[in-house]
Amino acid sequence: MIGSPDVVAFTKDDDFGDSYTDPCLLPAEFSVPLFPHAANANPWTKTSYAKFSKDFILISEFSEQVGPQPLLTIPDDPRVCGTFDLNYFSLRIMSVDYQASFVGHPPGCSYPKLNFVEDSKVVLGDSKEGAFAYVHHLTLYDLEARGFVRPFCMAYISADERKIMQQFQQLSSGFSKASESLKSGNRKAFANELEKKLQDLEYTRTVLHKETELQKMNNGCYSTQVIEKANELANVEKSIYEHKDLLRQIMSYPNKKMDTDYVQYEPEKPVETNMVDHTFSSTHSISRDKCVETDNASQQLSYTPQLIKAKSAKCFDKRLKTLEELCDSNFFHQTMDHLNLIEKTFRGDLCFIYTSQIDWALLSKQKISSFLFEEERHGEEEENSRNLYDTDHNPHIALPSLSNLSGEPMSLESYATCVEIGHHKLELESMEGPPESSTSDITQETSEEAVDTETKGSFSSDRSIEALGNISPANPNGFVRRSTNEVCTVTLSEQQGEILPGAAPDKMSPSLGYKLDVYTADMFETENLVQIDTACCIGQDGFIYEEPLPVPVQQCCEDTVVKQEPLSLLQGDPALQVDYIFGESGLPLGPSMGLMLPEESTSVHSEEMARMNIEDVSDCTSYMSTSTSSDRAGSPFTYGSLITVKQKKKAGNSALRFIRQYPFAQQAIFCVLSGQTLVVLGAEEGTVRKLVNALSIFVPNLGKYGETVQPWLTTSFQLTDLQRWKLIGLQRVASPAGSSMLHSLSRYSRYIGILDCDNKTLRCHPYRGTVLGHMADHRTQIKRGSTYYLHVQSMLTQLAAKAFLYTFCHHVHLPINTDDQGSVELRRTNFLLQLGYTEEESKIIQFLSELIKQNFFQWPLKGLSQSVFSFSYTTSVLYKI
Amino acid sequence: MSAACPPQSPAVAKTEVVVDGWCPLLAATFAYWDNILGPRVRHIWAPKGQGSLLLSDGEVTFLANHTLNGEILRSAESGAVDVKFFVLAEKGVIIVSLIFDGELKGDKNTCALSIILPQAELGFYLPLHSVCVERLKHIVRKGRIRMQKVCGLPRLFLPPEQKPSRLCILIGPILTLVGLLSVWQGYNIISTLTSEIVPIMELLSSMKTHNVPEEVDIKDTVLNDDDIGDSCHEDFLHKSISSHLQTCGCSVVVGSNPDKVNKIVLTLCLFLTPTERKCSRLCRAEGSFKYDTGLFVQGLLKDSTGSFVLPYRQVLYSPYPSTHIDVDINTVKQMPPCHEHTYHQRRYMRAELAALWRATSEDDISSDNLFNAQDSFTPDLNIFQDVMHKDTLVKSFIDEVFLLKPGLSLRSVYLSHFLLVLHRKALTLLRYIEDETQKGKKPFRSLRNMKTDLDLTVEGDLSIVMAMAEKLRAGLHYFVFGKPFFTSVQERDLLMNF
Repeated sequence: MIGSPDVVAFTKDDDFGDSYTDPCLLPAEFSVPLFPHAANANPWTKTSYAKFSKDFILISEFSEQVGPQPLLTIPDDPRVCGTFDLNYFSLRIMSVDYQASFVGHPPGCSYPKLNFVEDSKVVLGDSKEGAFAYVHHLTLYDLEARGFVRPFCMAYISADERKIMQQFQQLSSGFSKASESLKSGNRKAFANELEKKLQDLEYTRTVLHKETELQKMNNGCYSTQVIEKANELANVEKSIYEHKDLLRQIMSYPNKKMDTDYVQYEPEKPVETNMVDHTFSSTHSISRDKCVETDNASQQLSYTPQLIKAKSAKCFDKRLKTLEELCDSNFFHQTMDHLNLIEKTFRGDLCFIYTSQIDWALLSKQKISSFLFEEERHGEEEENSRNLYDTDHNPHIALPSLSNLSGEPMSLESYATCVEIGHHKLELESMEGPPESSTSDITQETSEEAVDTETKGSFSSDRSIEALGNISPANPNGFVRRSTNEVCTVTLSEQQGEILPGAAPDKMSPSLGYKLDVYTADMFETENLVQIDTACCIGQDGFIYEEPLPVPVQQCCEDTVVKQEPLSLLQGDPALQVDYIFGESGLPLGPSMGLMLPEESTSVHSEEMARMNIEDVSDCTSYMSTSTSSDRAGSPFTYGSLITVKQKKKAGNSALRFIRQYPFAQQAIFCVLSGQTLVVLGAEEGTVRKLVNALSIFVPNLGKYGETVQPWLTTSFQLTDLQRWKLIGLQRVASPAGSSMLHSLSRYSRYIGILDCDNKTLRCHPYRGTVLGHMADHRTQIKRGSTYYLHVQSMLTQLAAKAFLYTFCHHVHLPINTDDQGSVELRRTNFLLQLGYTEEESKIIQFLSELIKQNFFQWPLKGLSQSVFSFSYTTSVLYKI
Repeated sequence: MSAACPPQSPAVAKTEVVVDGWCPLLAATFAYWDNILGPRVRHIWAPKGQGSLLLSDGEVTFLANHTLNGEILRSAESGAVDVKFFVLAEKGVIIVSLIFDGELKGDKNTCALSIILPQAELGFYLPLHSVCVERLKHIVRKGRIRMQKVCGLPRLFLPPEQKPSRLCILIGPILTLVGLLSVWQGYNIISTLTSEIVPIMELLSSMKTHNVPEEVDIKDTVLNDDDIGDSCHEDFLHKSISSHLQTCGCSVVVGSNPDKVNKIVLTLCLFLTPTERKCSRLCRAEGSFKYDTGLFVQGLLKDSTGSFVLPYRQVLYSPYPSTHIDVDINTVKQMPPCHEHTYHQRRYMRAELAALWRATSEDDISSDNLFNAQDSFTPDLNIFQDVMHKDTLVKSFIDEVFLLKPGLSLRSVYLSHFLLVLHRKALTLLRYIEDETQKGKKPFRSLRNMKTDLDLTVEGDLSIVMAMAEKLRAGLHYFVFGKPFFTSVQERDLLMNF
């Protein structure tokens, strides 16, 4: 039989065909390659043959003296551009400018008119160089320039053509903002320059007039000198007329071309146009610009008019103004900031940018469950995604309008004010950082030390977080502190595997008074304090809050069967939300709740409050916990600051090491996912923190600021702490205090898992199933932490989806009749079994479902309390390496 | 505006195209850089009675001339077709230009094929940009051959090593002088370009009236049924969605009932991104559209005989393989995966271009004669095959989504969960391959490990996630599966030749 090796031998080309070329054979330049990638090419190479290392922004000018020339690049690092020929590319991108066709002297007019030309946008490329660009052409005004115009362009240069086209609208929007800022500054500077020139001309006219009069008296009316002076005077007069007209034109910049925000701040007091000289720099109202304005004002006042020639010679040896000189410096710097932001936003691989945008769009539809494992997005990243997916998003399309030039001239005062305010309207939103590019991954992951160094010292405030006591981000209304005996009595429920919501919805009364308690906790402190049980809190002699006890989950489940679609899904109709809250859920919310906005106001408020609380207490001295070690390497997040994707990806590195090193990683992850608090016990702070860091990516409802994780605790904790902290790093101390700590650990062993990183053991409830096997297989071949994080993220998303399904499947939870509670339980169990989950995995889903329910019912109070307490009577198992 | 325009050449020919309905295209132009006169417009196409309302011929000429601005500096690879995209707020238009080299009147010239749209249509056009550009690129390839052939007519009578350019310089004017202009015009690039510009006008026109909205209401889809199987058979729905996802979201839905077809179209569109939806088309009740290459999902109505003939060439030229869904008989067929699809596509393109190159007259270039001329290429006309790979991802989604109460937004939210999982799995897979191969520097040899590590051991699941990753990183299929496939094809071809 003929096998493939035998056949392949015949495939070798012989040498006979080389000498003859068939004329009927299609030449390569007219054909297409048979394979999408040539010999050594691959899907990644198309972005790697460019001569620059990463995308950058180039600003070029078509100089009237030297032609197209590059001015600056962002980032301003020569290594970025590499050997890429900026001069050549500037020439290429400037030569496609259409604007050149639209400016100039109108026919029949003796002097130039300012033409407010709309920016044009061009995408072009140089396939040979592997460079593609989005080019934004704009024109700035310069009194010294030919025709008073200086053509510029800002170009976003990338090696990926697809990226430019796919992100066209975002790029266009970003550059339009930058251009508007630059042009606003330029108009202001141009107007200033015109004013000065007018002053000079007025002064010159006065001088010439005096001289003429003098010469008339001395030499008579018809002497040559007098005639020359008269001509000169006429020229000056003409020049004054022209410049006044230019000033009028620049002030008559059509309002419609400005953003509406620019106009609405126009001062009420009308200002006469001819008074502009005195008012131009005196009406700025924004404090931020005060320095600049003062400078302007002083410049105006201190400016001494000079005697000038009527017509300035336009020589090629004169120095043209730089871009910064052409604009008001404040505007210029703001534009540069904005361009830097654009560069950061679009940095990296397109597929990461694009996926991030898709993620945002999809996550915005599932707010009811996205809190479980998603970090909150903010700033520019969110804005960019919104731009792409917002159906109402209107890209900056400025259609030509006939009425553009018919706008009434504005006063310089109002003009300047509008410009100033418009300038400040260009918000530079903070951003988390660009979607991580693979290049940065290499740097990041090949130097783990760098990562550790990066996170070192980032926990300056965690030592005092416990001092918060009654006000913490996770439980700002004051977490429960009762004597241990009482708590244990309550939690001894008859049912196994129960989940105890920290504050069952039906027991909560989030009224206005409740809110006031939160805000004015200090004021009511003495009234609510009870003596704590010193037996369970050795080393603690303070006072704590008294609060209603956690309620067993059974009760919660009975009362909180979700019969309606989530509130978040009804966002379009706030009234519907409120109706539902008061009408159908049966929640005894106070009447004052009706005064609250359903979602945004409270959530924003609570977020601010959480941040504020952390900031407030960060300066307090903790008497509950002290951190003695300076080794804070491997810290997951900076307490009190937003948790970012980048941080989580870094945590993925530690997580990958963890699952490879610890064969019982699945059990530890199960502990965290099922809502049991996992205590990482160890003597060395660095090691403990690294483990906490690794496990933190699995913690459901981590919180915007990572409130549910306590990375390093040096004293014993209370049962109430377990309600808010789901992952605790605990210091092992060889002292009497340490023995009490161990005592408390054994006391709470039913509610917690203990990962002893010194002895490499784990004591927790056993896990049997396959789901976590896919998530944390110690034989995994995944090489990088960030890739592993992506894998975990997709698995967790699947879990969140199932939890959502379980929560909102009506038929699973609704009793057929009033005595049907037993069958409901059975239905729930069977439902989860049908989904393919084992008993342990079902606990994960149930816990996540409880969180969703709690979040759902507390939607208007988002951020106030979301703790669910979970425990099991199943015997714990000790795992060893 | 007209006053500012340069004087219009009287020689600019214009074709007015009759388009059914309103066409958002203002005009299409073919311009070239004349080595003596500079940029010149050779031909204008405009939808009949529509384009001139917004732009006069003079303005069109002005704009078209300027598409060649700066192209004197062009330094592209031979045969390259570069794309330029202009948004000219001052003119209120957007222009898409394809810049290429071609021989006109015996000289190498830089040419530009452009389409002009109103700026207000930017949002409408952008999702369709790559569809238009890819189709125009291919017609430019054919056009370049024709341009070469016109100048190179005498080539057939010359030894192959003799350069034709000098002869062309001589022959070109002579042909003109002796009144053979009809030969030039009849057998030149314009007729070739017309063959694609008209369909593009029709495509844009049809998309204006029948495109799928950016946001699809789940209530208009099968996923809003009370129970699975209410609208269509459970397995049919599963197969349709699964295959649709395996073919990168590209599907053709055919049927006799337009409502039924559109319901499936909208259902499939739920699994696309908003941009992809804007690149999908519903079926027209009053007579079917033609199949259009490059759309993601398109509904097509069967004729009175109950059949719809898909054009092989157009289907093959689609950037991704397609799923064929017949809602009348509940069948789902799919094309081979991306790497095989691309391979067949390229082979067909090469065969087509080669046949065009060898054609000696206009008659030889019809598609019927194409493959008679190219003996070595036998197209596999049986490109739609049964869905081979079963999956668990879509299966469990379909089973579960119907457990949620219809009429509310619950199912939409659950769908968004499902899509998020798919997108994240695709990104993870991409990163896994990147890590394993150092971004393509090494061959990928750990497919089995990847399946285990990423929980993609079921072939259908892998196909779905790979298809989504392909959209993020074009060429991924070829990189992972291409070499084994090509080796097997080589072996098969050789064995067939024995």
